[in-house]
Amino acid sequence: MSDLALTQPVPLAIARGNGKRSLRIVQSLCILVIALVMISPLFMLLIASLKDDRFRILADMGSFRAFWVSDPTLSNYKEIAHFSGELAYGRYLFNSLAILVATVVSGLVINSMAGFVLAWGSLRGKAALLALVVALYVIPQESIIMPLVVMMSRAGLTDTFAVQILPWVASPLYVFLFYQFFAQLPKELYEAAEMDGASAFRIYRSIYMPLSLPALATVSILMGIESWNQYLWPTLVTQTDYARPIAVAIATFFGQDSIYWDRAMAASVLMMIPVLILYLAFQRWFVSSFVGSAVKG
Amino acid sequence: MRIFVGNRLLSALLASAALVATAGFAEAKTVIHVMHQGDPGWVKAYGDVATRFEAANPDVDIEMIYAPHDAYNEKFSAAVMAKQLPDIMELDAPFLANYVWSGYLQPVKPLIDKDLLDDMTDSNIAQGTYPIDKDLYAIGLTDSSVVLYGNKKYLEAIGARIPKSVDDAWTREEFEGYLEKLSKLEGVKWPIDTFRGYGIKTEWITYAYGPLLESAGCDLIDRKTWKASGTLDGEACVKALTMMQDWVKKGWVVPTSSGTNQFYAEGQPAALAMGGHWFYAEASAAMKDNIVVMPLPKIGDKGVSPNGTWIWGISATSENPEIAGKFLSFLLKDKEYREYAKSQSAYPGLKSFAAESPLYAEGGPLAVAFEQASKTAIARPPHPAYPTITSAFMQAVDKIFNGGDAQEALTAAAKKIDEDIEDNAGYPPFDEQK
Repeated sequence: MSDLALTQPVPLAIARGNGKRSLRIVQSLCILVIALVMISPLFMLLIASLKDDRFRILADMGSFRAFWVSDPTLSNYKEIAHFSGELAYGRYLFNSLAILVATVVSGLVINSMAGFVLAWGSLRGKAALLALVVALYVIPQESIIMPLVVMMSRAGLTDTFAVQILPWVASPLYVFLFYQFFAQLPKELYEAAEMDGASAFRIYRSIYMPLSLPALATVSILMGIESWNQYLWPTLVTQTDYARPIAVAIATFFGQDSIYWDRAMAASVLMMIPVLILYLAFQRWFVSSFVGSAVKG
Repeated sequence: MRIFVGNRLLSALLASAALVATAGFAEAKTVIHVMHQGDPGWVKAYGDVATRFEAANPDVDIEMIYAPHDAYNEKFSAAVMAKQLPDIMELDAPFLANYVWSGYLQPVKPLIDKDLLDDMTDSNIAQGTYPIDKDLYAIGLTDSSVVLYGNKKYLEAIGARIPKSVDDAWTREEFEGYLEKLSKLEGVKWPIDTFRGYGIKTEWITYAYGPLLESAGCDLIDRKTWKASGTLDGEACVKALTMMQDWVKKGWVVPTSSGTNQFYAEGQPAALAMGGHWFYAEASAAMKDNIVVMPLPKIGDKGVSPNGTWIWGISATSENPEIAGKFLSFLLKDKEYREYAKSQSAYPGLKSFAAESPLYAEGGPLAVAFEQASKTAIARPPHPAYPTITSAFMQAVDKIFNGGDAQEALTAAAKKIDEDIEDNAGYPPFDEQK
């Protein structure tokens, strides 16, 4: 049988077909491995949140038992689902949600307006202003955090929701993203609307904003994730449980003497859900914005 | 009709006046801010005490400010910069000298109930005392120590001697000999867990490893001249840290990546653990009779153990220090708070609390830990440069454990410490202490 296979020439088309199929199998396998690698930590997190013994979670971490739970329980979720008192993780989750929504909504308005003015406004020194925006982006947040704390405390904003929203509403990165997006749209759009007598605000609101869904989606997702994951800033500016976000609240599980992995895992799962929803809601435009910028690039 | 309207108006006015008066009364409440760290259990315990205090003192509002353990210092710095220091703050004892030197704390003796002050153990007084004026600036219910935990089954299998008191602690030869034997014993993955998993963001390395090095003749800084060069990078320290690096190289020590407990985790892969007293409650619950508590080994001529924990101070800027003192006294006497502390195997810092803690009494399972407080405990250097000292030391140890050159790492750490002291002109009056 093997002799026959060696002596018979394989038709070229069949060989090519087989080659393509093999390539496809290899590609699929690669994708599967990458997907597994990316999903496994999330899966592990979810499984760990269903175990009620923090020492077992720790012991299981180095083995395949981390991906299996024989007696799943929701007790960790029940433990953290309080809405009052110092350990009201349910409430902290809502605090984070409120901060996220307020930051993203106001951020979209402010940054898009700034981007629009930089792209189409008739400002003197626009180029210098744009350079300044880009330059501001490279300054690390940590380097200005203490002066910012002092400013906010002098403004009497410590321990409020506002202090967690206001400083992060305007961002050089998002202003630049909007600027880039608006600047790519045809100049004729602006001129035609202007000739029809539309004001700059009307052009921004009725023409440019509806066209900028990919930019809005990108900024919403990036800004939402940034706001959601803030830890140091709210640690410094929140005092009581009034406006405490979930990221700071989860830190209580990492005590000096011990780490409460069980409840930390459950709280982390809950913390993950809103950003996943945000991503899923906007991912179509988010992806298209990346594809678009790559093509236009 | 007019009269009726007039009456309604009058009632409305009276109601408004009453509301204003109530609001005024509410505003008249004294607010005491208390900054603390801790896990959910402690957070709840403090919160409950605050609620009970408010019930007993209706004119006072206690506002608890939670600061995550790993970002406590950043939060404290922010409070200082924003001029928003709380009335009461929890602080890590070795940082006390720095806080007092910086003017953040005020003496608490006149503010705390006298019976509580008389109740403090010597070690507790030591951890809250500023070395310059010898005044007491902080007080706590508890203190702390580190002991050597052992897995009885493994120790019996290698025929190890079990020390019963501080006086017959293992010598270096015995300790290293047992580590070697344990490394070859079936079931033992690592001979010892030194909790490297705590990392360098906590005080663990300085707190727990420092005493072992001091036992070997090393110290973080010369405590008379307040110079690190020549001491921290001297021969004794280099030798001691090379010895510990050797344990790591031989695979005797649980690595950082394995987390913060391999001693009583499933399968009990670590035979020994150099752990805090707080470790006992969970370890004994998991291991039952298979756990033994021993003093820290004597690496050199003398045994050394750590002390100091998170204690309570009253800020210099507090506008109501008397009420703050009253709350602290209430907290430290609170029965339920003490019960919770006991359930966490808290190390007594008050004599009355020690009497209530059978774990630490003579014959108790942690008696040897309490014995260390009076026989071998040495405080971390009580100097304003301590934050720099500990940070530089921890980074050096981390480098060494990860394969770095001991002499090089310690010289760099000593230089960093000395530079900080020089930059602050010797932190007067500490520079006059010589």
